[in-house]
Formats: sequence, structure tokens, C-alpha cells
Amino acid sequence: MKKILAVLLAGMMAVTAFSGCGGGSTESSGSESGGGEGGNTSVEVKDDLVDESVFGDEDNITLKVWAPDKAVALVKQQVEDFKAAYPGKTFTKIEVVAQGEGDAGTQILNDASVAADVFSFASDQLNKLVDAKVIADVAFADYVTEKNAEETVTAGTIKNTLYAYPETNDNGYYLVYDKTVVSDEQAKTLEGVLEGCKAAGRKFIFDCGNGFYSCTFAFTGGVKIDGFEEDGVTQKFTEYKEDEAVATLQAFSKLMHDYKGVFTSLDVAQISSGFSTKTCGAGVDGSWNTKSDQDALGDNFGAAKLPTIKVNGEDKQLISMFGYKYIGVNAASKFPAASQILALYLSGEKCQKQRAEQLGWGPSNKAVQEDPVVKESPVLQAIQQQSQNACVQVNIAATLWSPMGNLGNKLIADQTNPDDAEFFKKLLQQTIENVRDEG
Amino acid sequence: MTFVEYKQLNPFQRFAYNFKKFFKNIPGAVGRFFKGIGKAIVKFFKTIVNGFKNYGTTFAKGDWATKLSYVIFGVGDISKGKIYKGILFFLSEVLYIMYIIFFGWQFISKFGTLGTVETHTVQKGIIKQTVFGDNSMLILLYSVLTIVITIVVFAIYIANIKDAYKHQVMRENGEKPTSFRHDLKDFMDGKYHITLLSFPVLMIGIFNILPLIFMILIAFTNYDKAHMPPGTLFTWVGLDNFTSLFDIVNTPKKAKTFLELTEWTLIWAVVATFTNYILGMIVALMINKKGIKLKALWRTLFVITIAVPQFVSLLLMNQMLQTNGAINVLLTDISHLFGGTERVEIQFLNSSTLMARMTVIIVNIWVGIPYTILSMSGILMNIPEDLYESARIDGATPFKTFTAITLPYMIFVTTPQLITQFVGNINNFNVIYLLTGGGPTTEAYYQAGRTDILVTWLFTLSMTSQDYGLAAAIGILVFIVCATLSLIIYNNSKSMKDEEAFS
Repeated sequence: MKKILAVLLAGMMAVTAFSGCGGGSTESSGSESGGGEGGNTSVEVKDDLVDESVFGDEDNITLKVWAPDKAVALVKQQVEDFKAAYPGKTFTKIEVVAQGEGDAGTQILNDASVAADVFSFASDQLNKLVDAKVIADVAFADYVTEKNAEETVTAGTIKNTLYAYPETNDNGYYLVYDKTVVSDEQAKTLEGVLEGCKAAGRKFIFDCGNGFYSCTFAFTGGVKIDGFEEDGVTQKFTEYKEDEAVATLQAFSKLMHDYKGVFTSLDVAQISSGFSTKTCGAGVDGSWNTKSDQDALGDNFGAAKLPTIKVNGEDKQLISMFGYKYIGVNAASKFPAASQILALYLSGEKCQKQRAEQLGWGPSNKAVQEDPVVKESPVLQAIQQQSQNACVQVNIAATLWSPMGNLGNKLIADQTNPDDAEFFKKLLQQTIENVRDEG
Repeated sequence: MTFVEYKQLNPFQRFAYNFKKFFKNIPGAVGRFFKGIGKAIVKFFKTIVNGFKNYGTTFAKGDWATKLSYVIFGVGDISKGKIYKGILFFLSEVLYIMYIIFFGWQFISKFGTLGTVETHTVQKGIIKQTVFGDNSMLILLYSVLTIVITIVVFAIYIANIKDAYKHQVMRENGEKPTSFRHDLKDFMDGKYHITLLSFPVLMIGIFNILPLIFMILIAFTNYDKAHMPPGTLFTWVGLDNFTSLFDIVNTPKKAKTFLELTEWTLIWAVVATFTNYILGMIVALMINKKGIKLKALWRTLFVITIAVPQFVSLLLMNQMLQTNGAINVLLTDISHLFGGTERVEIQFLNSSTLMARMTVIIVNIWVGIPYTILSMSGILMNIPEDLYESARIDGATPFKTFTAITLPYMIFVTTPQLITQFVGNINNFNVIYLLTGGGPTTEAYYQAGRTDILVTWLFTLSMTSQDYGLAAAIGILVFIVCATLSLIIYNNSKSMKDEEAFS
């Protein structure tokens, strides 16, 4: 009896070890058929809808859509509209699942065969998806190119192929400020912003330790990213003048040290809470935090493009990192045509307008950009202006972020002497070396 | 030096003597360690040679059925009346062949190259479709599975031959093979350990050993951001990942990062282990001292830190140590009390290397000593009281009792625990990652900061910069360091050499 009990216990232990490790990976394979008619890729699209013949032989369609948490309810409703627009087709099930745009790409890469057919993602993941060949080309490229802002299409194009449907034109950061602390005039220059904050005893918050924000220091100095080298992984930089870049870094560092206690490096989450507790006067915050900043400041909420900084007596515009959001189609989808048609619809004018109205997302569609909803929003205007002064967040090496974060940390560190040009020269060289993984 | 000579030395000389002895012993210990490994290898090969010898002689002595068992599993057993076992042997052969044909072969055949067909696209109507080619990762994974299965089947094959020959000999001696019922009963009796352990061992094999082999093999491939399946293939690169960690000429940055992080990892492990050990012991001694009131209260107070999950305390500490965190606010308030006007903004974690490292060690002491106090208290209460009594009667001072009774006893009992803690600190991911995240950052290292230890660097390499091959190589090196150190220290410890002391 004892022995049987022991066996049972051992068995149970083994089973507990076993559970939780479920799930298997199915091997994904594409059908070899087709390849017959090559060049004919132009299909007539009207109001983001196509003729039902484009579906081909696909029917009883089952699809999975990934959308960010906040947008799920709206996307569900848009999917219903989509179904209604194609009465001749049977949609067995179109499922909308919450999945953050930040790591949708990684999730697709984990196992493309069980991931969503249509998914939204941030532009920095595009090259990873294209490299892994898990994202399908846009089937209606001509139409999409015509309808959307040029920069969003360019950023979605790799080697002359458009890989994703532009969804938003707002994934970036800009200047938010408390109007009682910083005047609209002061908000135009970094010196003015800091002066205003200092006078009121408030902080100016800029997350220097985070590469996403601190790449601004390098970009403003003319050290801009420019896609990849031939090998497809090494970050390429535009030509830059080292003296100018070093002078800019010194100017930033000097401001940080002159306004020590005002210019602080903190997480962006501290900005809205700082507004509420009246400890923060201004900050560089992301577009996704707009709502909480507005709630904290109410009528005193101010938004503008990033300010300028004085370098060698000349005002230089701060250049930021700016991304877009896209809708992509999984290359392993079992219903490739239906997925493309749904992605086309979801990224279309009507859906973008709904999102601008209900979620405050900046549109990429040219017609929606001219819409009063967008025109009258100071935030969306600030973002759109900043997008003119930005490096596009696409084709980013995985090694970019931490060296850039280190650059920001070093500029603000107590030990750094802003007048030591040699130090900044070396820092810049080492940073670029690290980003490019040389040595 | 004889015992009497030793006893005549003053404490400083004794310390010097012991210190010298310890270092003198290190080469010997290392030597014994490698000698041991060498012996084990020789033994292993001898076993294999013997195996082949037996393999040949059995074939020569075997009858037709035993000989046929060399090709078809189980024939020998079936011909001798051991039907069920023969059928099981035969089934395992059939299943194995089917597995290889329908599943294993497509992967194992590409094991040498890890795939050659790249993923590409085809035009289908207006839609371009991706056709997935070889997936190096799946090829590697299933090849490992196939190899392990092959080894298992080989073991079954040998068992089948041995069994066939055994039954042949039994028949020659006029014995009958045992019945199925008898064998089944034997599994609940003589072979009970097999019944009990086979399932757990199987599960460990599948969920621990298999992935482990897979990860080890990745260290010899160029699986990184430029070679990501399913889009692109990766392949074998030999020892390139390892050499890049030591090659200060061609990959100076990686080598510098590796060497300096190793140095800090070892410093960290030693300091973190011993500060916790010594301070924990001191506090435990104080609490356990006779005449201390409210012992239970003090003990509870210290142990309360354990009640909060460690990662929560660490994240809180991280927030408190920020430039605008609680500690700086507190310091500001204190300085205002004394007439200061400036805000205090000490950068604990993200400015100076020394400051950050000290902070990490101090916070680690804070989260670590309650555990030491707990185990030490238990050990202290366990020391036989008569030892102390006789010491008192002989007129020993309290200090003498400590160095002659308490300390040896504690070290004796806790050496294995110390080793565990030391290895645990080499791999102490939580404290470093949650407290500093590796910072202060630096441009001198590749994807690492000043307080990063090897495991946290490994984490960044695999999670951020996708250098899987390099990360696997570091993992192997860390394992080698941990295993060697633990074995040497443990084998030289008193607890190992003289188990009977103190009992």
C-alpha cells in the first residue's frame, strides 16, 4: 500500500513539473502553388473597399486581429462594419485580441503560424519582420501610397516594396508644459523653458537615460541615423561634422549643469504626476501620455514641438526620434487575400478618422490630416510639426538604445565637465562604435 | 609543522600560517580536480572498449536466434519463450524506424549545415506569399531530439542482445525464463527503484536535459540578429563565440567587457557572500546571547523583511535611491534642519561606479542577512551545551569559546550552504537587474553597464541585442567557473572530509 502511494506521489510530482510547459510549435509551411501571373498587381480600390472577386476562392473566413488594449473596442466595431461591407462573403469568425504595438513584432516572430493574421505594430519593428519574412507585402500599394502622407509610406518601404499599411503618424514625443510656469514664447527655446521652470522652482523632466529620448542629443548635433549598411544589421549614420556634434553635446551638457536641480532625468511617467503635485513645470513626453498630462493640467496644458538650443550663438532645432504605427499582414496567414482586404479597410480613411476622434491618434491619411478634428488639436499639431524635425524610427539596430541612453547619462552626470571638448569627442566616437558593434 | 609547534605560535603567526597553507593547497586541489576528471574519462573509455569486446564475444558464442537479434530486436527472447519482452524490443525497433523515416530524417540530415533553403516569396494572383524554407532553429532542436532518441534506442539494442544471450545461457542450463506476472511483481519489489524513478527521470530528460543540450549547441552557432530564423539561416561557427570573449585584438570591446565583468562578478560574489555571512552571524550571536530580553521580538523584526517578496523590496529600493527618491528627500529635510538650503541629490545608482557598487552591496546586505540570521540561529541553538560548560570549567574566555567552539562548528555546518550562496551570488540576477539595471551606463562596454554581472549581461545580450550565440557561450563559461569552484571548495571542506566530527 505504501509503495503504491509513493508511486502516486511521485507521479503527481512529475505531472506538476510537466504542466505549464504545454504548447507545441507547429511547423509552418506555405503552399507552393501560384506564381503564374506576376506583374498585374493593380486592383481598383474605392473607399477602401475592393470587389469581392479579389477574395479569390477564400470563403468561410476566420481571422485574428491584434490591436492595442485601448483600441480593441473600436476595432471590434470597425470589424463589424467591414463584415457588412462584403455581404457576399461568409465570415466564420473575426477575433480581435489585445496586443501592445510595442512587442507585436516579437510575438509574430515567436511563432508566425499561430499569431494574428492582421496586426498593428510600431515602425521600429518593421525591418525585423521583413528580415524574418513573416510580413506580407501590401497588395494595394498604389492606392495606399496615394492616400497616405509621403513620409509614412517611405518609412514603410524597404528595397522598393511597401510592407505595411500606415495607420498613424504620431508615435513620438514633444514638449508639454504648464502654461502658468512656461509662457508660449519661452517654450520656443530650451533656455526659455529652463528659465521659466527655474523661476517657479519647478523641474524640467527629460529622460536622459532612455535611448529613445536621448538620441535627440546626437540627432540635434547632426549625427542622424540613416537605415542600415549593406549587411542589414549595422546602423548607418549620415555624414556629420564632428566639431558641430561635439559643440552641441557640450551645449546640452552645459545647460544641464547650469540648471542643475531643474533639468532632471526621470522617467516620463513622472511628468504627469509632477504636474499634479506642482513639482514639474515642463517635460518632453510621448504622445501616448497626452491624456494624463491634460488631465493633470486642465486649462494650463501647453503643447509644442521640441524647443531650440543655442549652439555657438545659433538656435538649433532639437531633432527627435519619430515613429509611425502600421498595420501588417502575417505572411503565414491561411486567408492571405482576406487579411489584406481587412488591413486595407482598417487603415482606411473612415477608420483613421474614427480613431482620431475617439482615441486622439494622429492620422497618416492625407484627407484625415486636413480634418478639423486634427487641425484644431494643439497636441496633434505639435506632433505633426515635430515630425518635420525628426529621424524616422525605422531600420533601428537593436544596439542603438543602450549606447544612446549612456550618452544622455554621461551628459547629465555630475562628474562631467561641460567644457572638456576632448571628453565629448571621445564619448561620441565610442557611442557610435557601440551602436555599430565595432570591436 | 607539528601540532605542538602550531600551538606555540601567536594568533598572527597562526593566521599567516593558515593563510599560506590555504594558498599552497590551491594548486594541489586544482591538480586533484583535473586528475579526477582524467580518471573518469579513462574509466569511461575502458567501459566502452569492454562493451565492444562483449559485443563481439556474445555474437561468436550466440546461437542463430541470438545472432539474429543483432539485426532484428527481440528474436532471441521470443525464440526462448520470453514472448512479451521480445515483442516490446521488436516494437521499439519498428517505432524508431518509423520515427526516423517520417520525422527525424528531415532534420537530422540537415544537422551538419543547419539548413540550406532560404525563405522566399512567390506571387499568387495579386498577393505575394511567403514560402518558408529551412528553419535552422527547428532543425537544431529536432536533431537534438533525434540524437537523444537514437542513444536511448541504442541502449535498448544492447539490452536486447544481452537479454537474448542471457536466455540462451539459461536454456543451456535447463532453466525456464520468468513469467510476465513474475516480472511485474518484481517491479514492485526488487526493481522498485525503477518503478519509482522512471517517470521523473523521463520528464527531467525531456524538460531539462534536452533544452540544455540545445542551448549548449547554440553557443557554437552564429545565431544572432543577422541570422534570425525563419527569415535567414544560421550555421556552425565552431569556437568563434568563445574566442571573441578573449580576443583583445580583433574584438577588443567584447573581450574588455567580458574580462572586466568577470572581475566584478567575482568581487561581487565574494563580498556579497561574506558580508551577509559575517554580519548575519554577528546579529544572530547577539540575539542568541544569554540575558538578551525579547529574543522573539528581535528575531521577528529581522525576519519581517522576508515577508515582503524580494523583488518588491528591490524595486522599491530602486525608486527610493533615485535622484528625487525618498532617501534624497529625507536627506534634504535633514540638511534643512541644520540650516542647509540646497536640495540633496545624491546619484546613488547612475553616476559613479564605486558609489553604485557600494550601494548594491549595502542593499544586498539589507535583503540578505535575515536569511543568514534564521539559519544561524538554528545552528547556534544546536551546539551541545556541554561543550560550553566544560570550556567554562576550564576557564576559557568568551572570545576563546567563540573561536574554539562556535566558529568551527558553524563553519563545519555551513560550508555547503556558503558554496551555494557563493554560486547563487555569481548568478544573482535579481539584485543587480532590479536595483540598478546594470547602470551606471558606460561607453567602454559592449551592451553592459558598470554594475552588470555576467548573467545580467547575458540577459541583455539575448533580450536586447539578440546575440544568442554569444550569450550561450557566456552561460557555458559561467557554469564552468561555478562548477569548478564549487567542486574544489566542497571537496576540500571539513564537512566533506570529516563527516563524523561534531556528531
